[in-house]
This record gives sequence, C-alpha cells and structure tokens, in this order.
Amino acid sequence: MKANRSIVFRLILVISLWSGLIFIVVLGYNYHHSREVLEKELEKNAANLALSLANKVDAELVSVSKVTEGVAKALETADYDEKSLRLLLRETLEANPGIYGSCAAFEPHEFRKESVAYALYFFRRNGTTDAIRLDRSSGSLPYFYWDWYQIPFELGRKEWSEPYFDEGWGNQLMMTCSVPVFKGGKSAGQVRGIVTSDLSIESLTRLVSSTRILRTGYAALISRQGVILAHPLKQSIMNETFFSIAEERRDPGLRKLGQKMIRGESGFVFYKSLVGVKSWMYYTPIRSTGWTLAVIFPEAELMENITNLTMVMTVIGFLGIAFLCIAVFFISKSITSPLIALAGTSRKIAEGNFELDLPPIRTMDEVGVLTASFQSMVTSLKQYIRNLTETTAAKERIQSELKLAKDIQASLLPRIFPPFPERPEFDIYAMMRPAKEVGGDFYDFFFTDRNSLCFLVADVADKGVPAALYMMVAKTLLKSEGQRVGDPGKILCNVNNILAEDNENCMFATVFVAILDTVTGEVRYANAGHNPPLLVRSGSAAYVDAKHGLVLGPLKDSCFETGSLMLMPGDTIFLYTDGVTEAMNRDGEFFGDASVLETVGKASKTGAASIISSVGEELGRFTDGAEQADDITMLAVIYRGMP
Amino acid sequence: MIIQTMKEGAGLVVTVSGRMDAVTAPEYEQKFEEMLSNGETDFVIDFEKLEYISSAGLRALLSTSKKIRNKNGKIHLANVCGNVREVFDISGFTGIFQVHGSVAEALAVIAG
Repeated sequence: MKANRSIVFRLILVISLWSGLIFIVVLGYNYHHSREVLEKELEKNAANLALSLANKVDAELVSVSKVTEGVAKALETADYDEKSLRLLLRETLEANPGIYGSCAAFEPHEFRKESVAYALYFFRRNGTTDAIRLDRSSGSLPYFYWDWYQIPFELGRKEWSEPYFDEGWGNQLMMTCSVPVFKGGKSAGQVRGIVTSDLSIESLTRLVSSTRILRTGYAALISRQGVILAHPLKQSIMNETFFSIAEERRDPGLRKLGQKMIRGESGFVFYKSLVGVKSWMYYTPIRSTGWTLAVIFPEAELMENITNLTMVMTVIGFLGIAFLCIAVFFISKSITSPLIALAGTSRKIAEGNFELDLPPIRTMDEVGVLTASFQSMVTSLKQYIRNLTETTAAKERIQSELKLAKDIQASLLPRIFPPFPERPEFDIYAMMRPAKEVGGDFYDFFFTDRNSLCFLVADVADKGVPAALYMMVAKTLLKSEGQRVGDPGKILCNVNNILAEDNENCMFATVFVAILDTVTGEVRYANAGHNPPLLVRSGSAAYVDAKHGLVLGPLKDSCFETGSLMLMPGDTIFLYTDGVTEAMNRDGEFFGDASVLETVGKASKTGAASIISSVGEELGRFTDGAEQADDITMLAVIYRGMP
Repeated sequence: MIIQTMKEGAGLVVTVSGRMDAVTAPEYEQKFEEMLSNGETDFVIDFEKLEYISSAGLRALLSTSKKIRNKNGKIHLANVCGNVREVFDISGFTGIFQVHGSVAEALAVIAG
C-alpha cells in the first residue's frame, strides 16, 4: 500500500524532526558544558571563600590560645604566690576583651601544704572582673574530674573543649582553651596544673552565619564532633550533629561526608543541603580546633543564569523551527501546487479534453520543465489526433464510396429471376456474392437473336478498384461484342484485342462464354483461361471438355476456339468462378473440385435456382463463418427443350 | 511468400516459395523492379516450392515478364507443378511462357 501523505507533510515532518533533534543536542551540550565550566570556576571560588573564612576564625582562636599559653608559661617560669596569680589572671582578663573568663587550677598542695585543691577563676560580671574559688563551690564535682582539667592533664598538651552553652553567662556559646602548666618546664613532663581561657564563640558563629552566598547560600561551622555550630537553621545549632541528620535522612553519603570532615579533610561535593536544597559545598578544616567550615552554593541559584539562557534559547529555537516549518510549508506548497494543478489538468486531458490550457509556466525549474514537456506532448497528441481524425474521415469516405461502387457493380448484373418468364425451354439462374472489397467477378446473359441465349461468367484478376473498373469495361465489351458477333470464339477474340490495346498493368480476366440454341439445344462455347464448366446429365456432373485459351487482356491476337456440345432436355450446364472451389474454411482448406462436382450432381434434378442455393448452403457449411476471400459467382442453365 | 535469388551462369535463378496472392504479389513485383534496376535481364523463376498462385499472382507474373521483355531480357519458368501447373493450364499461361522441367534446362536455354 502506498502512503498517501503529501510531500508537504513529509518535508515538514522530516525537517522539523531533524532540526529539532539537532537543536536539542546542541542545547544539551551547551548546558552541560556551561555547567562544567561553572562548576570548575565555582570550586575555585568556593575554596577561596571557605579558606578565607576559616583563616579568620582560626586567627581568633589562635590569639586566645596564645594568651592562655602565655599565662601557663608565666606560671612555669616564675614563682607565683596566690596574690601574684590573682594579679596575673585579672590583668590577662582585662587585657583581652575576647576572653570571658580565665582559670588557673592546680594539683593538690600547690600553694599550701594543707590545701587539697586550688582553682581560681576570674571572670567578667557587669563590666568588671570578679573571682571565685572553684574548689570551694559546693555541690559540684571536684574540678579534677572536669573535662577542661582532666583531658589536658592526661594528654599533657593544649586542648580546646567542645563548644557549650554557658547558662550563667547569658546563654552564650562558649569554648574553653586549656593549657597544662608543667613543673620544671615542659620537658620534665609533670603537670602542675591547668590554665584555661573561656571564649565566647558568638562572634565567630556570627561571622560565619552572616556570610551570604548568592541569595540563599550560606556558610556553616561544624565542630570536630560533628555538632553544628553555625548554620542558618538556628534550631539545629548545638542540637544536631551531622551524623544525627545523616541518620534521620538515612543517607550514608552524608555520614561519610561527616567522617571526612572530622578527619580534617577538605573537599568539594554536590549534595542535598541541611535545608533540603541541592547544593554544592566546599568544606575545609579549621586547624586549631579541628572544626570544619563549609560554604554552600544552592544549585538552582548558581544555574539560574544558565537555566534562564537555556530556556530563552529553547524558546528561540522552537520559534525558529516553527518559522522554518512555515517556510518549508510555503516553499513545498509553491512546488507542489503547480504539480497538483498539472496533475488535475492532465487528468482532464487524459479524459479527452485537449483544448484545456495547462497551468502557466512561472519558472523554468523542474516543474516548469515538466509542464513544458507536457505541453509539447499535448500539442503533438492534438496534432496526431487531428491527423488521425482526418485520415479516418478520408478512409471512411473511401469506404463509403467503395460500398457505393460495390452496389453499382452488383446492380449492373441482371438480378431479376426468372429473367425470361415467357421462355419455357430453359431455366437460368445466377448469383454473385462479392467478397469484402469491390471485386472483379461478374456474370451476364442476354439473347443475341430470337433463339440464341448468350451466357457468360468472368473473373477479373486481382481485387479492388482497378479490378472493378476493368470488370466494367470487360462486361460492356462482352455484351456489345456478343450481341454484334454471335460466335463465342470471335467474341473473345474481339474483346481481347480491344483490352490488350493499352494494358500496361497486365490486367486480365478469365471468361467462359457460351451461346445456347434454344431450339436445338446446341451450346457453342469458348474459354479464355476460365475454370471449365460442369455438364450435369442424369444426376452426374462432369467437366465440359473446353479447350483452354489464354486469359483475356494481356496478349493481342490471341486465338479462342469455339467448341460445341448438345444438351438434351433436362441437362444442366453449371458455370462458376474459382471463388467456389477455393472457398476456404478456418483450417485453410479449399472446398475443392470434387465437392463442387458432387453437390451440383446431387442438386441437378431441381431448378437452376435451387442448384445454386444448395451449392451456396454447402459452401456456408464448409466455411463455417470464415471470412470470404474471393468473390463467389455461379450460373446454372437447365435446358428444358422445346415444348 | 519467400523470394530467394542466386546467380547461376547466364541468368539469375529466382526461387519463389509459399503463396503468391493479392497480398504478396506487390512484393514480387517490387523485387523484380529492384533486380531490373540492378541490371539483371535474364531470369529463371523456380516455382517448385510455390504452393498457390491466385489471379493477382498471375497478373504480377505477367506484368514483370512484360517489363523484362521491354528491356530485351529473358524470363523462363521452371518446375511449374501441382495446382500451380493446373492454374497455368486453365488460364493458358503455359502457352505464353517458356516453361521447363528443371532449372538447369532453363539455364541451358538462356545460355543457348
């Protein structure tokens, strides 16, 4: 089955699909590539930002730890009593406004032998400094067991505590830096006590929190335990750890990320942020405390420009494809509409309407060329049909004229039977059945005097108009000479000489002419190359032994002998042309002499007319509808004798 | 109808086979016109393989022989047999043509 989709439809389909596909590939590549470039750029920027933030935070912390270490160093190198210790701590506190409180705690028997513990804590209150003895505050664990004391003591090195809320100090997020004081220098390794500085990290977290990246991006701070210290989600600060969130989200990737952070690694990852937005994050450690600082860039905001650009490009692209389709539509319409018009016109032309004008040729493109060739075809066809019509008309005219000629030819032969009803001494009947074309057979009979009946059968050579004309001449001459001369041989001789006079084409006729004396029954005859006639006597037919002369026409001065035979009453003489013997059936077989003899012999008892009609019927049966090739002519005379 | 020609000594032997009737007679005449214009004058026509001759065929035979004689040429027939012979006898053509029993005989007469 042929798809009946139009060229226009197919063009638009193919072009729009392909250009759409190419456009999508280009757009996709562009988006992807821009994203990659952006990502690389981002990583650099994020790292810079994170490191600078981390350095700021670190600087603050380092300054505090330096102060604390300075106090510890002082205690190690100089001999301090209680009074001078108080002075040192107060001065330290006063000199460092970032430090909220400072403590010096010692192993038992530091200043006095009887004192088991000594821990002096200086802190700020209402703009001034105050001091308390931690070893004397009741109801709490002895300070030896506190983390800020025990961990640096055991480890023998400086230690930052985990951030904590100090409720006594207005719920500020605090941290403590603890530095061990060694007896006899650090190399001796024996820890005498611990010096601490309390530090509010509010300013640090504010610094981090106040960092704004794009519109909703942010920076965050995570402790070395994974606790969230600074984050836009205020409620999660100090309440949640990276790991608790990972647990909550069942996100092993997040947990792994947290582990990396705690190990102090730095990196650049794409993940779903704690506020639930897909983001890029750069994280880097803060050396002094082992915290992690992270800067978070929300993807949507980063990609905003690219996304917007892509959207605009998509719109432009699809508008472009739409315009392309419209252009293709009009171009293909402009190609196919003349084709459709041409097809419509040619269909009408094919139906026979040649006067129709083809669509005008606008451009000499392929369609124009086709139209031009079509035009010339139509012109040639028109010319051809005109010629054919003329030829056909001419042929029809000739045909009708030939038909007329045939009718005239037939009308020249005597056709009224019985022709001589007042003459009972003989019975005569004749017929000529012409073949398709006008032909050259004829018969004739007439009285040359009161008792002499002349009858003849002739066959002019060939067919068509020349034969018909020749027949006319021959017939006229034979009748006039027959009536004038009265002897068959002489008649043929005279007619032959006239015909041979100007016979360039060598036309000729075969003639058998006979004259019956109706009184005696004598038949005198002469033959110019014709089939010998049959004599039928008592039911059997035999050839008349006629001396053959040359056919009539080609050679002047030919001689024709006159023969003679006597008819008894009841005898029949049967003349015919070769159209009878050579009548052909469908298998190409001739009717033949034998069949003629037999048929005529059988029919001889009846009248002349019935002899001829029975031969005719027999011929009809034999040929069985095969086309008649030659004229068929028969003439029968039955001699009855004088009454 | 098939016409074959073969130069044999003094004359041109023309072998006519098939049917010579109103349809093929013009072809026969045309062939002889050609041969005459090629300068051939003496012909032996071999009718051995001729199956049938109609009055149109006879007329063509007459017409060509007249043209040959007008050019002082010779036309001899050979092997006229069967129903062609019958037609020749009835029409009296046997009397106006020189008819021989064989091609060799006819050629001998031409060479004569």
